[in-house]
Amino acid sequence: MTDPSTAVLQPTGRLNMVAAPAFKHLVEETVASGQARIVVDLGEVTFIDSSGLGALISGLKATRQAGGDLRIADVPEQVMTVLRLTNLDRVLRAHTTVADASDDW
Amino acid sequence: MTGEYVLEGLAVPESLNLLHDLLERAGREHPDLDGADLMLFETAVIEVAGNVVEHGRPHGGVAWTFRLAVLPDRLEATLSDSGEEYPGGTWGTAMPDDPMQETGRGLPLATAVLDDLGYRRTGESNHWTMLRRRG
Repeated sequence: MTDPSTAVLQPTGRLNMVAAPAFKHLVEETVASGQARIVVDLGEVTFIDSSGLGALISGLKATRQAGGDLRIADVPEQVMTVLRLTNLDRVLRAHTTVADASDDW
Repeated sequence: MTGEYVLEGLAVPESLNLLHDLLERAGREHPDLDGADLMLFETAVIEVAGNVVEHGRPHGGVAWTFRLAVLPDRLEATLSDSGEEYPGGTWGTAMPDDPMQETGRGLPLATAVLDDLGYRRTGESNHWTMLRRRG
């Protein structure tokens, strides 16, 4: 059961300097529309760079400021590696599935 | 098996996708190349190139040439650009202290996945050299 205050976002392809600004904007719009609990399904993301990480951090801050949270699910290997190397796996814990991430807010 | 690849263009965000495409082609043409090596090298290349896109001056008017060599024991690349001298001078391996900081991870990330990252200025050009030994 999806809580109406929860949004699932599914970026695809490369979450790099080209795509990150639009993704950041989408998160901001989602929070502004009243959905401050966001699960980002990363299953279709083939590559992330530091711009993409910045967009996730920006989203994490925006959701928390609105009383919610941002969680990530189905994290591919390259994304997981980059999260570990930047120590961001400590603030963006990887959930196996969207359902797992949507549990127990 | 060795292979050399060259890409010329402008240091703008859209060019990053051409670099991705080039690296993916290199991977397809070198099936012996370990996927993890290529993935980590691609991560570094995109960070270094992204740094030039973001900080290169004049903004949007910097031309670059990317050269990649797939060698039996290593991956080597040079990104040469026509921009002003990179003002950073040095760069560290330290990630931002504050995990909620949105920027400042690019070059530390590149440093973490490369065996060597170099910068030099010759004449009117900047040269970023990247090396990763194949696992």
